[in-house]
Amino acid sequence: MKWFFFLGVFLSLHAQNKQLLYGFNEVPQQLLLNPGGQVDFRGYVGIPLLSHIHLNAGITGFSAFDIFADDGRDFNQKLREVAYSMDSKDFVGFNQQLDVFSAGFSVKTSLEKKLFISFGMYQESDIFSYFPKDYAVLANEGNYNNLNRRFDFGQLSVSAEVLSVFHIGLNKKINSKWTLGIRGKVYSSIVQLSSTKNQGSFITVPTANNNLNHIFDLDMSLHTSGISFLSEPEVNDELGILKKRLLFGGNLGVGIDLGFTHQPAPEWTIDASLQDIGFINYSKDVKNYILDKYLEYDGIQAVFPEITSGLTAQDYWNEVSSDFDNLVEIDSTTISYTKWRPLKLNSSVSYNFGRKINKECNCLDKSDPTFQNRVGAHLFAMNRPNHLQWALSLFYFRKFYKNLQIKTTYTVDAFSFSNVGLGMSAALGPLQFYIMADNLLEYQNLAKSQSVSLQLGFNYIFKNYEN
Amino acid sequence: MKTQSFFIKHISLLFVLGTCLSCIKDTDFEQDDALILYPTVELNLVNAQEPAASFVDSSGTELPFISDQVVFDVFNSGFSIDNLIKAELVFGITNSINKAFQIKVDFYDNADALQHTFSIDIDNSPSNTPLFTEHIEVFENMSLTALKSTHKLNITFTLISTPTSSVLTSGSEGSILFASKGVFYLKISS
Repeated sequence: MKWFFFLGVFLSLHAQNKQLLYGFNEVPQQLLLNPGGQVDFRGYVGIPLLSHIHLNAGITGFSAFDIFADDGRDFNQKLREVAYSMDSKDFVGFNQQLDVFSAGFSVKTSLEKKLFISFGMYQESDIFSYFPKDYAVLANEGNYNNLNRRFDFGQLSVSAEVLSVFHIGLNKKINSKWTLGIRGKVYSSIVQLSSTKNQGSFITVPTANNNLNHIFDLDMSLHTSGISFLSEPEVNDELGILKKRLLFGGNLGVGIDLGFTHQPAPEWTIDASLQDIGFINYSKDVKNYILDKYLEYDGIQAVFPEITSGLTAQDYWNEVSSDFDNLVEIDSTTISYTKWRPLKLNSSVSYNFGRKINKECNCLDKSDPTFQNRVGAHLFAMNRPNHLQWALSLFYFRKFYKNLQIKTTYTVDAFSFSNVGLGMSAALGPLQFYIMADNLLEYQNLAKSQSVSLQLGFNYIFKNYEN
Repeated sequence: MKTQSFFIKHISLLFVLGTCLSCIKDTDFEQDDALILYPTVELNLVNAQEPAASFVDSSGTELPFISDQVVFDVFNSGFSIDNLIKAELVFGITNSINKAFQIKVDFYDNADALQHTFSIDIDNSPSNTPLFTEHIEVFENMSLTALKSTHKLNITFTLISTPTSSVLTSGSEGSILFASKGVFYLKISS
């Protein structure tokens, strides 16, 4: 049990906000966030499986410390306090990405008008769940002290998916002011489940003469794909099947990313992107579960056989018993379904300053003539089943030499108001390493953190000739 | 240039230290593994409403008693045996018949052996005004064990003659309302 909560806190990663990577022009993987980002190199090859490792976990409402603090207090008591301090808008999210391979090259090498093509494949996992508070209260208290309280079964909203994504992107520098980009994607879903359109309730209403009326009104559904084959006895090569799904063998979908960078003046940069405008159609290995029932129960009627030859209490009980059996009987179908990918928006405005200019003309001078500093603001938003998840960051980017860049961010979001992040990219010759992590203030005790985000990777960079 | 190397050194140091020193402190992940819930569930049980005429047979003679029984495997279900730590059966009886009653509830197990019994005395209502009687039967320890072996319930209404009550006929007024609900205290551990 404890590991469940541990995972819940550290692996259930929050949004998919990569505020440190976004706009980090030296790192090629920023093109996955904005296909219209600026490209400062001729080409790159990501080190396979190591070019982009991303983990992002977050939870609102509590931290692991609230439950596991070594304070001698009862574990269940702490758990109860946490559950009661949360509401149904709180959520747990987990997102993980792993670049399997990636590469990019420019077709024209003129700096002003180059077309940069990048492509690759990554694997992604995403789990997201709201906190079903009414379920927790009902499980903890029962209905005894909750007469007339409507327990909302619609609060159950959970989705999980593992998929692989093949992508190819075009990035075109139109002129000195505009860079546009588009990325086409093919999704291959390995496993998916979602239960996000639930409705229903349970209420106990006191009636006359000390009686109770229990009303169950259920309209719930769970879609799954890619899971039911595991329960089929004749399947014994699960791993083989999963591998096949990783390579276009899963449920397929298509999508695009769009983005631009606009520099109205050399000092100012405005950019924005929309990621994952697309959908997946789930038709293979689909199993949907539906519970659409209504039941009112107000007790077993005792009708004394001495009085009437009608129904006895036994008959009533048998009827009630079969009503209850019917209430929890779940229908299943294998009808295909389509889901939109969670749409993500990134946008930033930044100001560049501190250009290095040598006053004396020196043709052999190899110092970097570009701006050394950048400050700006970044907005991230993502649509979740019941709300828009957002984050706002202020950032400062600084170049130290050509081979070392550092970016620091301060982020405000649903998780915290004290999220400070730091990212760095360093190059040793053509080999680049980058690492970015946020919530650094919490690193002295990770258990108190409500979200953790980490990205790192290695690339082989072909620098611009001019460099 | 000096400023830069100062920055590089210190920021790199911060990074390395930050990563190495990040840890999880003052926590104990070895705490009690079990998640324990204590919900209390309230459920309607058996109800009945009988007019005075119900206690008279077809020839117009007052019956000595009426009874009904119900077989149900709820109290003796696996869930109940594992998780039920206390139960209260709450009875509310509203009598407006000018006749006293004794309501007896018997709990039988699979082998028809009596496990538990109790009775509730109901006063007669000479002016046919509703009189309310509440009875709460608490099941703990031994009686809880008896409840958990219950397979069948038998409810008997015995008519009791008192100096102020009348003999019932098909024209007698009033009715008796019998309502029961259970309050089940559960302990559910993972």
